[in-house]
Amino acid sequence: MRELYSTELEELERLLREEGELVDRAIRGALNVLARDDVDLADELIAFDDEVDRRYLSIEQGIPSLLARQTPVAGDLRLVLAILYVNLHLERVADYCVTVAKLTKLAHGLPRDAGVLDALEEMGERCREMLSTGLEYFSARDFTDPQALIDMDRPIDRANRKLIDRLIALGPDEPRREWAMRMMLVSRCLERIGDHAVDIGEQAAYLVRGEFEEFTDASHKTPRPAP
Amino acid sequence: MEAIKTKIEVSNKERPPTATDRVAVFEARDLAVSYAGQPAIAGVNIDIYQRLITAIIGPSGCGKSTFLRTLNRMNDLVPSAALSGELRYRGIELYGPGVDAVEVRRRVGMVFQRPNPFHSSIYDNVAYGMRILGLKKDLDQRVEKALRSAALWDEVKDRLKDSALGLSGGQQQRLCIARAIAVEPEVILFDEPASALDPIATSAIEDLMHELKRDYTLVIVTHNMQQAARVADMTAFFGLEVEPDGSRYGVLVEYDETTKIFTNPSDPRTEGYVTGRFG
Amino acid sequence: MSDTSSAPFSLRASGRLRRRQLVNRAMGGLALGAAALAVTVLAIVVISVGSRGAGALNLDFFTQSQPQGFNPKGGGVLFAIVGTAILVGIATLIALPLGVLVAIYVSELASPRLARLARMALDITNGIPTIVIGIFVFTMIVAAHGQSAFAGAIGLAIIMLPLIARATEEVLLLVPASQREASLALGVSRWRTTLQVVVPSALGGIITGTTLAIARAAGETAPLLFLTSLGVSSHADLNPFHPLQSLTLVIFTYSEQGDPGLQAKAWAAAFILMCFVLFTSLASKLALARYRKKLGG
Repeated sequence: MRELYSTELEELERLLREEGELVDRAIRGALNVLARDDVDLADELIAFDDEVDRRYLSIEQGIPSLLARQTPVAGDLRLVLAILYVNLHLERVADYCVTVAKLTKLAHGLPRDAGVLDALEEMGERCREMLSTGLEYFSARDFTDPQALIDMDRPIDRANRKLIDRLIALGPDEPRREWAMRMMLVSRCLERIGDHAVDIGEQAAYLVRGEFEEFTDASHKTPRPAP
Repeated sequence: MEAIKTKIEVSNKERPPTATDRVAVFEARDLAVSYAGQPAIAGVNIDIYQRLITAIIGPSGCGKSTFLRTLNRMNDLVPSAALSGELRYRGIELYGPGVDAVEVRRRVGMVFQRPNPFHSSIYDNVAYGMRILGLKKDLDQRVEKALRSAALWDEVKDRLKDSALGLSGGQQQRLCIARAIAVEPEVILFDEPASALDPIATSAIEDLMHELKRDYTLVIVTHNMQQAARVADMTAFFGLEVEPDGSRYGVLVEYDETTKIFTNPSDPRTEGYVTGRFG
Repeated sequence: MSDTSSAPFSLRASGRLRRRQLVNRAMGGLALGAAALAVTVLAIVVISVGSRGAGALNLDFFTQSQPQGFNPKGGGVLFAIVGTAILVGIATLIALPLGVLVAIYVSELASPRLARLARMALDITNGIPTIVIGIFVFTMIVAAHGQSAFAGAIGLAIIMLPLIARATEEVLLLVPASQREASLALGVSRWRTTLQVVVPSALGGIITGTTLAIARAAGETAPLLFLTSLGVSSHADLNPFHPLQSLTLVIFTYSEQGDPGLQAKAWAAAFILMCFVLFTSLASKLALARYRKKLGG
């Protein structure tokens, strides 16, 4: 029953999945730009963001229409709301990837530090993993263990802090300093991407359980006890 | 940003956790009704709370109206109806010996699906119950009070002697509500009160119910889920149970705060019904 | 939008449709003819009675009593009219409340089986030849106490009862259950609901049924032969415990006489009776219409 309605819901989820895949590629792309210091690739990546934006807009327009016409309730309502939020998170992540690309362009030609770059690469890959895990939970509607996602986030935060220390250690000399500052911002972007990935996991939990729960937030370092 | 955590324990799917400020007006335990041997509803356990609006939803044939009519003993009028189990009103077994059905109906009023005013004047309609009960003093004031409570006074105050049948459908329904209020019941039952009305009249009735909630306990049966969602504090979902021999009867599947039922119901049957996936 | 079919588009009646329309018209004509026939029959009766009776009608006829002896000219049927009025009046007083109560019982209170039994009894009573009813009341009352208008009224009441009861029952059933439910849901007992909601709604039908019964009773002759035929209409007698004359008896006895004058009077009495029936029918329809308007329904 409600064929049209089901189809519309499925369509929104499909768009979201696509968006997720594109964002995954964007993160990988941003990391490549960083590793290779490739300006052309950076421009490609910045242009690629349009693909993500397209899906983002489709979903943004589809949701009010669905809400108004089909009045979803219960599980359907939670799905629509979750799609709404995940959509926002994905779009933000894509924007952060663009920022990384832009920062790399700005830092082009400056002396680099291999250790910092390796650390950033690892952070970035962790984020990719987290994002894809969160999105998987979302599509499978399987949320047995939120702890796994939280565990993945911690190393990222740690890595971020270690990186800051390392960057400070690079010293006050001019070109180094500029590069360091840019890389700090890159690190910040990656750390934020990790946060968004956790948020996506929270939405998956809400969808499955029907209760909204924050895993961690800035004021609480450790997650709250599960119900 | 503080996390918002709404925790609703559903230890027993049928009875919501008793918040300390809730008083049960009706308590049903293992209630069952059958017509000529065929079960209509069975195993119903539910508490209806005072001064709240409780909605009964479910597919056709699930016994919503049957259940509603047990609350004011209107099922007595059907000779083939048989009832088992317990149904207490303010602690008194409604179907016990010595309980007068007429007295019950004075305290538990009912408004029907199709407005059914008497074929007399607006005034006489409202005064009918009062006259019979002997409340003849200050009849005019009482009629006015009832009509005001039903949000109808301003529209009819200049034509109280006109025939009730000259009113629009929505006005007639409010007149029936005024008529029911006039005998000062404690509970008002609504059997699909707005299904015969247009959306504007429906809204008026729903706003009215919200007002009435302050003084009366309301129980409404509705096949319009959105109405239940808009209006009710508690919602009870009756589902259809099908026996192997093909006979079907209604059971109470889930009873909880309306928000819970419509955002995160516990029972998949409830989910299936409210999302419209399964009739 | 161009029409690409081969035949030109038209909404005119085609073959089958024309035949259908002709059949429609034929049936309509037949129905009209039947109605006209019914009206004509009534007209013929009214006119024949009227033409034969109107001649003997004059004020005297109405206001004077039965002529004594063999004086056929002059004199009237005043007391016969009065007698009929008393007979029918008392009969109505008996049959109306009883009939309504029986109808209430059958339609509201009885179990389906008892209701069916009661209905059957009423229908059978309705079919009993009135002369048999006359004999019955004769043996019950007249044998012991002699003839009286009272006995006549009882006989008429027995005839009227099934008519009133059935007509009332039918309109009671027409009152929608929603009206009853509305009253009951207010905490009003069944009995009061019936009296204050159902019966008033059904009043129109009750009036009609009663009027028909009255018209019928006014025209009965056979039972009265046994029960009150010895009534004398030569002097004023309003005592229901004495036998009283009735218009129908007058028609009967006068038409049996050889005297054409008396026979003319019989026609006149028949005319009066017929007018009475027509009048009451029309009056009851008017009353019903005005009652409906008052209810606004």
